[in-house]
Amino acid sequence: MVRVALRIAHGCMLLVGVSALSFALLSLSPGNFFDQLRLDPQISPDTVSALRAEFGMDRPWPVRYVRWIASGLRGDFGYSVSYRCPVGLLLWPRVRNTLLLTSFATLLAWMVALPWGVIEALHRGEWLERAGSVVTAMLLAIPELLLALLFLLFAARTGWLPSGGMFSPSAAGAGLLRVLADFAAHLLLPMLVLALGAVPPLIRYIRSAMTSVLDSPFIESAIGHGIPRSRILYKYALPAAANPLISLLGFSIGSLLSTSLLVEVALSWPGLGPLVLEALLARDTYIVMAVVMLSSVFLVLGNLIADLLLYWSDPRIRAV
Amino acid sequence: MAGEAHRVGAGVGPLLSVRGLTLEYAQRRVFATERTETLALRDISFDLESGKTLLLFGTSGSGKSSLARCLVLLERPREGQILYKGEDLLSLGRKALKSARREIHLIFQDSGLSLNPRFTVEELIAEPLVIHKALESQREIDKRIRTVLNQVELGQGFLERRPSELSGGQRQRVAIARAIVLRPTLLILDEALSALDLSTEGQIANLLLDLQEQYSLAYLYVTHDLRLAGVMAHEVAEIRDGRIVRQDMPTIVLTANLQPVS
Repeated sequence: MVRVALRIAHGCMLLVGVSALSFALLSLSPGNFFDQLRLDPQISPDTVSALRAEFGMDRPWPVRYVRWIASGLRGDFGYSVSYRCPVGLLLWPRVRNTLLLTSFATLLAWMVALPWGVIEALHRGEWLERAGSVVTAMLLAIPELLLALLFLLFAARTGWLPSGGMFSPSAAGAGLLRVLADFAAHLLLPMLVLALGAVPPLIRYIRSAMTSVLDSPFIESAIGHGIPRSRILYKYALPAAANPLISLLGFSIGSLLSTSLLVEVALSWPGLGPLVLEALLARDTYIVMAVVMLSSVFLVLGNLIADLLLYWSDPRIRAV
Repeated sequence: MAGEAHRVGAGVGPLLSVRGLTLEYAQRRVFATERTETLALRDISFDLESGKTLLLFGTSGSGKSSLARCLVLLERPREGQILYKGEDLLSLGRKALKSARREIHLIFQDSGLSLNPRFTVEELIAEPLVIHKALESQREIDKRIRTVLNQVELGQGFLERRPSELSGGQRQRVAIARAIVLRPTLLILDEALSALDLSTEGQIANLLLDLQEQYSLAYLYVTHDLRLAGVMAHEVAEIRDGRIVRQDMPTIVLTANLQPVS
């Protein structure tokens, strides 16, 4: 428990540091929302100054930072100057949508990559491994955005799948099964794009971890003792290879909010991606800050989960 | 007597007979189109009697570890026979091979790497018993584990430790315990004492001699160091470039000038 408490405290300190640095960088970077208003000749400079004062943007950035922290603790995360509402109201539905998409995509990626990587490691030097390497190399070479656009083209041309959004208007008010089927149809393309982008590096990492373990002397020793191959795989090799894979899983969890932004924009998934893009273009600082902080929270959470899983799965770590 | 089998000690028949063993490794260099074969073992032949020790020495790269690995089928030779109690291990079916594997064990030089780092000492020693279903009840398994632990002079307090919590000598004792828990007849010691300090080396050597006397164990002791030859070996063979070039009694090998064999 002490260990967990220390890790959480460490994570909180890290978040404070990230928030301060991000806020400072965003505040000090040139341009803001009100610079665009100044370009409008119908808006007087006095009006712009008054608006700046109203939104507290005339204060020094450390003062604004403290006020933003207080707002964040209330769940508001500041005020959006372009949407004229607390950022929290915009954020949570989008976070939910992004997490839905990335969770399914991450699950699918791991379900494909784990057995694939293990099989490649077991069949090193054979045609199976070579064929797998060709496929992963091809997938790695295709940019995620291009994949998204290709899938979009496919959906638009065939009409077999929706080409954007999360639900069809016709599904509103329909039964649960119909709604779920509609959701699944909308989810499929962006989920596939994200999973296909995540699978190749996962396979390579898993194959490398397994190969390293399978070459170990203790595996050879087990073979020499006549221990069956299946037992060696499940009781010896996989647990030994688990540590780097658990760290990788922690990273996968940590990037749940950040990996899908481009794909969401390309495939019109109503997640954080389009919101962040609009906020960046409009220089709406607090929305960007909120997304940065949430992503950081997930990174810290992902690492914490990985640490706890390592502690649970590896008795040598518990003994330290 | 290079290339000829030599009987170690007298008896009904040798426990282990190796005939014409040849092993090659195939390599392909980067950017090369052809594979090159390297002969690690060339026409190796020798016999080993039950309860005796054959010490096989040679320099690094001479093929001694390759031979050790062949005998436990971690490598498949290109040619030759490995006759254990008259049966060729290379042509045995799975069931018969599993039975043979109960009786032949390889102890590696670095036991820290050859022991599963996640297993406790108890799990490491119990594993062969579980795999080969050697004992019927958990109580018998526990009793056997305690017995072999005593035999290798480790206390019961070591049962819950893991390899990383043991010294080099203790790890080697655990490796020996794991090897003898199934009451084998042949142990292949691949530089098993080389990584130990002198004092520990002497202790482990004495332990091996005691176990040999107790269980009539045969040892094939592979090493680059002749220091223990006079103490442990009944016969000494030299391996060079994959061939056995010299084989004789330890006193003769130790006192003779080691001239290159023509």
